[in-house]
Amino acid sequence: MERRKALKSLAVAVGGLVSMPAWANGWNSANLPSGASFLAPRADAVLAEVVETILPATDTPGAKALGVHTFIQKIVTDCMEPSAQDSLTKGLMAVEALAQKTYSKSFASLDAGQKAEVLKTISQSSDADEKGFFSLVKGMTIRGYMTSEYVMNNITHYEMVPGRYHGCVPVVAKNTTPKTQQNK
Amino acid sequence: MANFAIDAVKATTYDAIVIGSGISGGWAAKELTEKGLRTLVLERGRDVKHVVDYPTTMLNTWEMEHRGQLPLGIRKENPIVGKCYAFHEGSAHFFVKDAEHPYVQEKPFDWIRGYQVGGKSLLWARQTQRWSDFDFQGPARDGFAVDWPIRYADIAPWYSHVEKFAGITGNKDGLATLPDGEFLPPHEWNCVEKYFSQQMAAKYKDRPVIMGRAAHITKPQPIHLQQGRAQCQHRTICERGCPFGGYFSSNASTLPWAAKTGKLTLRPHSVVHSIIYDEKKGKATGVRVIDATTKEMIEFYARIIFVNAAALNTNLVLLNSTSNRFPNGLGNDSGVLGKYAAFHNYRAGISGEYDGYLESTTEGRRPNSPYIPRFRNVHKQETDFLRGYAAGFSANRISRSNQEGFGADLKTNLANPTLGGWSVGSHMMGETIPKESNYVALDKTLKDPFGIPQLKVSIVYDDNDDKMVKDYQEQMMEMFTAAGFKNLRVRDDKRNPGLDIHEMGGARMGKDPKTSILNKWNQMHHVKNVFVTDGASMTSTSTQNPSLTYMALTARAVDYAVKEMKKMNL
Repeated sequence: MERRKALKSLAVAVGGLVSMPAWANGWNSANLPSGASFLAPRADAVLAEVVETILPATDTPGAKALGVHTFIQKIVTDCMEPSAQDSLTKGLMAVEALAQKTYSKSFASLDAGQKAEVLKTISQSSDADEKGFFSLVKGMTIRGYMTSEYVMNNITHYEMVPGRYHGCVPVVAKNTTPKTQQNK
Repeated sequence: MANFAIDAVKATTYDAIVIGSGISGGWAAKELTEKGLRTLVLERGRDVKHVVDYPTTMLNTWEMEHRGQLPLGIRKENPIVGKCYAFHEGSAHFFVKDAEHPYVQEKPFDWIRGYQVGGKSLLWARQTQRWSDFDFQGPARDGFAVDWPIRYADIAPWYSHVEKFAGITGNKDGLATLPDGEFLPPHEWNCVEKYFSQQMAAKYKDRPVIMGRAAHITKPQPIHLQQGRAQCQHRTICERGCPFGGYFSSNASTLPWAAKTGKLTLRPHSVVHSIIYDEKKGKATGVRVIDATTKEMIEFYARIIFVNAAALNTNLVLLNSTSNRFPNGLGNDSGVLGKYAAFHNYRAGISGEYDGYLESTTEGRRPNSPYIPRFRNVHKQETDFLRGYAAGFSANRISRSNQEGFGADLKTNLANPTLGGWSVGSHMMGETIPKESNYVALDKTLKDPFGIPQLKVSIVYDDNDDKMVKDYQEQMMEMFTAAGFKNLRVRDDKRNPGLDIHEMGGARMGKDPKTSILNKWNQMHHVKNVFVTDGASMTSTSTQNPSLTYMALTARAVDYAVKEMKKMNL
């Protein structure tokens, strides 16, 4: 009875999302550019390679496949001071310039080791702007990755509806709980 | 034509009008309709239907446009509400934006409001502690404010009445400072919280640490299932609205219950301008409303009126209800209306770490935390400040990952966080003393977008509050040290009054019509068919969360009002 009611409630809630009323989107006001991408296509591609270098595909998807570069542009555009857009654009130009200078190739066409070298140089740059750019992008890459659907479902196993609180459980037992149980 | 006019009046006439649909207005609606009264509930904001109007409630983090973060424009436009801990991408639509309803801060005051059906009952922190006689006797003991016209015994049965329906989790602790209620099973402690509670019990005779009492259904009873509510699912994203009805809100509980009686008319978008006073009849006859959509002024009539607009807006409505008989606001012969406003002092906190119980952790989430009832000045005046404070307490462990470098190693590290040690923390909730100099009034020139005078707020901390902050810090430092907690840091964030969202008073209850607005039934001394049962009615603020007391006072006042109507006294 209870469960059926709960499920019914959920169905209604999801139904509610489809017709999300206008006020719920009120904060996407016209005075804010809310397009997902403010970067030119080429800079967007460089950013995608940068986030992929920070968190690359291994046996699990990397930041690029999880759309972290799109997330970063969304947040920088909507949620940060305009100076952050500037910092991102200039930083990506610096990445590209360094790739050209060091390898005479665009950043996107470097191999993984070369990309990592370029980012390492930028991260240790004596130029405060370049360093600031890297720390901005790295922090947001981690955030975008950790809040992605793939990671929250498959790696950190976030539970939207835990349905319980146990105050004192052994640390060891928790870590060895099979995934299937953690996900229920 | 004449008939048409009579019909028009009939169509806008009810047995009772309730101004406001928040936590106390919802209760007024439930109790009045259950007793058979045709009741009109006026809500200034839009309708919010349970579940269907909770647009973010089922969203995962990645499904929110900014994954929970608010856009810069919203933050810049809302320096006041932006300070509220619960204001984020998933909940911002339930808060009043700063520009929507301007007010005058004669002294800095962060006024946090929810203008929609359900009001702030969608957003509250759900702590539901009963007030004890130590709370009700505070003013009589030290002479600040006036004596409450009621004691615990007057309200105790009404606490039981509202607790059973709302669903309150708690443990029967047998404390004089915090009476037990009708509890559903309590939430669990974690190891460090339990340890702290035991340490304090061993060290102090009078500082029990208990599990908080909160409006969450931990084990649904038939009365909850009849409301269509289910067991709390521990999501701890309550401020988005709960599709399970796991916590109490007007939307999930009292309003749908009132609607089922067939006696309820709920009218959103109805901004109350004033209460109509008929000098010949010597009573209030109705309410003037500005339709927020059409900007048209409409009148509604009823035999009794409940004012539940939330503390400060209730003051605004009463102050703006002027007539020849009451030139300074409805029922305000005493001149105290708007004065003796008070709040809760949440400025101080403490945080630290504990290196025991490292073999234990928690699982799942808990929408509640332990609570330290007031232990200062309980039986006698023992400090250099008046009254006392309660405190929240909690312990938790946070996982942290190594975020050095980048590449595959960073990715591995992010997937394998290590569990940190225990963090412990507490915050204070101090009673502030109602004073004549802390007041709200109508601004003489500025108007809101509906042409209603803006509310001028002049509420500040005083020396008593500063002393209380200092004492809380000292006592908690001593208690945390005694428990072996380390790296202790105390804080005083000097937040503005208002951010506690526990503003109270202005239309206080009292025995003497010369010094109070309401009698012991929350009934206006001078306008017998008007009742005020929200935070505005509070004579003092106590050291407990106030919402449960608003609910109980409301149910009690409705019971009295309906009996008086039957006796033809109203």
